[in-house]
Amino acid sequence: MEEKTTTRRKVLIGMTSAVGAVGASFAAVPFIASWNPSAKAKAVGGPVKIDVSKMQIGQKIQVSWRKQPVFVIRHSKEALESLPQVESKLDDPSSLKIDEPYRDINPTLSTSTEYTVIAGVCTHLGCAPKYYPEMESQPWDESWVGGFFCPCHGSMFDIVGRVFKGVPAPTNLKVPPHYFDGNILTIGEERGTA
Amino acid sequence: MKKLFIVIFLFFGSQEIFSAGGAPCGDYGECDSFKPELENIESLQLGALTFINHCYGCHSLKYSRWGRVASDLDIPEEIFSNNLVFGKDVKLGDRMTGSMEPSVSETWFGIAPPDLTLVTRLHGSDWVYTYLRTFYEDSSKPYGVNNMVYPGAAMPNVLASLQGQQILACKDVPMIASNGGVRRDEFGNDITEEKCGYLKTIEDSGSLSVEEFDEVIFNLVNFMTYVGEPSRVDRERMGWYAILFFVVFTALSYLLFREYQKDYH
Amino acid sequence: MTQKSSGFFNWINTRLPIVNTYERHLSKHPVPKKVNFWYMFGALASVVLIIQIVSGIWLMFGYENTEEGAFASIEYIMRDIEYGWIIRYMHTTGASMFFAVVYLHMFRGLLYGSYHKPRELVWVFGMTIYLVMMAEGFLGYVLPYGQMSYWGAQVIISLFGAIPYIGESLEIWVRGDYYISGATISRFFALHVVALPLILIALVFMHLVALHEVGAGNPEGVDIEKHLDENGVPLDSVPFFPYKVLNALVAIGIFGIVFSIILFFFPEGGGYMLELANFEEANPLSTPEHIAPVWYYSPYYAMLRAVPDKLGGLVVMGAAIAILFVVPWLDRSKAASIRYKGVLSKIAMTVFILSWLMLAWLGTVPVTALRTTLSIIGTIIYFAFFLLMPIYTSIEKTKPVPERL
Repeated sequence: MEEKTTTRRKVLIGMTSAVGAVGASFAAVPFIASWNPSAKAKAVGGPVKIDVSKMQIGQKIQVSWRKQPVFVIRHSKEALESLPQVESKLDDPSSLKIDEPYRDINPTLSTSTEYTVIAGVCTHLGCAPKYYPEMESQPWDESWVGGFFCPCHGSMFDIVGRVFKGVPAPTNLKVPPHYFDGNILTIGEERGTA
Repeated sequence: MKKLFIVIFLFFGSQEIFSAGGAPCGDYGECDSFKPELENIESLQLGALTFINHCYGCHSLKYSRWGRVASDLDIPEEIFSNNLVFGKDVKLGDRMTGSMEPSVSETWFGIAPPDLTLVTRLHGSDWVYTYLRTFYEDSSKPYGVNNMVYPGAAMPNVLASLQGQQILACKDVPMIASNGGVRRDEFGNDITEEKCGYLKTIEDSGSLSVEEFDEVIFNLVNFMTYVGEPSRVDRERMGWYAILFFVVFTALSYLLFREYQKDYH
Repeated sequence: MTQKSSGFFNWINTRLPIVNTYERHLSKHPVPKKVNFWYMFGALASVVLIIQIVSGIWLMFGYENTEEGAFASIEYIMRDIEYGWIIRYMHTTGASMFFAVVYLHMFRGLLYGSYHKPRELVWVFGMTIYLVMMAEGFLGYVLPYGQMSYWGAQVIISLFGAIPYIGESLEIWVRGDYYISGATISRFFALHVVALPLILIALVFMHLVALHEVGAGNPEGVDIEKHLDENGVPLDSVPFFPYKVLNALVAIGIFGIVFSIILFFFPEGGGYMLELANFEEANPLSTPEHIAPVWYYSPYYAMLRAVPDKLGGLVVMGAAIAILFVVPWLDRSKAASIRYKGVLSKIAMTVFILSWLMLAWLGTVPVTALRTTLSIIGTIIYFAFFLLMPIYTSIEKTKPVPERL
């Protein structure tokens, strides 16, 4: 008799607690989900379009997408041709360490053969790297071959945003979703997902 | 004790206490009832189309976003952007802030046309449904029309081309006796009297029949009801699960309570 | 006291009395073994308090306390924030349910004489909680800055104007402007989300500490402390855990059903919980046709309107709340519970509750001559119930209260 009662109690306690736990997790959903970007934030962070035909060869411009800098660089042919030369110094020249949909398309790492589109957010701790395209000795590297240098913690990337060996940044700079429609570059969405 | 209840009952039962102010739909009396069909996507789409074509020129839906309407109403963004959205520089994430500068509209209408996002929640969908169908010709008004629900409304009947001319007419109606029944003569026939103030649509003066027009307004108000609270369908769907959860929880905790009650009963 | 607790808990407990407090106030706290559903509303009130605090914090993430942004930010919460609508309705439903359970809790107190010696302070703290809740509810109602927020606040703040000499400058001082503006909203916001909740939590704490000192009452009005076992625990009691916790779980389950029905299917409560006029942004130049308070203030609003004098109305309304504080000293009956009180008390209670309900309804509808008369009658009954209490409770014959529960 006593034995039976305790079993019944255990089963009931188990069931009530389980149902209560399920309820509590569902009740938590709205509170957690409401911290996601709101429709307003998504609207402000919508795709941006720019005309890149006016850019000079070798010029770098900065575009703001989701209030984050995105660098667009128009490379010269020579610069692109010289890319393989620095590969021995790079940590991950083919962007294999990250899930990077644009890595095998062009040397620019974008969908264009001429323009590079990269997020100006250092993969170390989020500072904005600065662009030093000239091949000349720099305080941080005597044999600087041109690229990005992050002033916060000294991470270095080449001109298409690939990370050098021996710096704190773990991976190459990210390429934001983008596509080109002639000279119109859209940053923030892929072609056809609109 | 019993007497007291009778007194209270008399107080609460008397008509005078409960009859408050005017009728909800102005001169029209009781509003026509409107039952929204928020899961009828086709009706909502047609309503959205009517709103954009006939209302959005003056009235905004400024708390609502284009993209939300498109996705909730299952309208592909391509079609939505090309056919419904006003202006090419409008992005889908933008709010539906109207196409008219408030200062311009104020000079046109005397007052700025109100934002309509919440109008169905403010007045009720019944009211809006009745209001939109009770414009009638009245040459004394600046727009040549007046409204039964909202006399003196500073708004033209923008749907007149569909509805046609609606006028106030008179007709014979049964006379109501003092006891509330219909008065009859000695042969048992209803006694009628002529009363005025009934809406009548002049036949073939508009492009739609009365039924078709009512359906257009139904879809429109259905859409406006949706815009008033876009999460309503979700809300009611989730409600069933919440109630189901608490019923199960109550049942289980009651069994547990009874089980432990044995300790002291 | 702390027999066999593990080393760690022992270490903590000798420095911070967690285990002692837990045992004293929760696990072993003795509660009367026989109570009815009326004794569940206190637990439910604390559940609603938690709902209000949590949903309130989440609303603050989206709310904007400015004149230009307040109304739009409510719609922003309702539409643009994921599940914002559920959090907002939780708060609005919670506000009404808070008053609902507190009114039932208070009525329980009147019914079973929960304020009788030695529970006078428990009652007084409870009434203070109710008073702060009324202020809290009012301040919160102004924040969406809709038409009813504006005009409701206009009416209530104008009451300050009834105070002789300083009234008018007091009104301006409260608003911080010549109308209810952004300045008013931002101070109301700070009071609503920080100042009053802090006071409320402190009062709830005092209410509970005082209650646990004297022990909970019961519907029979029996003093269970008279018969103790060898450990000094009342014979007619059971430990709080697990018995009362299970009792509360059932109550929470049923409450959850009611709460969900309102939140998910009738969030506007037919216009009594979310007033429809508040779906329009505040317009200081146009008063809505009919200004009614939300249902939980309506009995006192009806009293205010019943008095044809500005200051008089304010005094009557204030007195109606104030008189609740002294109920423990008005009731002279030997029996705490209505079950053992005389017929006069039973009649008085019935008439009182009916007239209170009538006033509650009258406060929500527009004024007519007949309704004003009814409001006056209701107000007189309300005060008569309390002011005559010392007389009818002392002259009537009570039934003997049993020894055991």
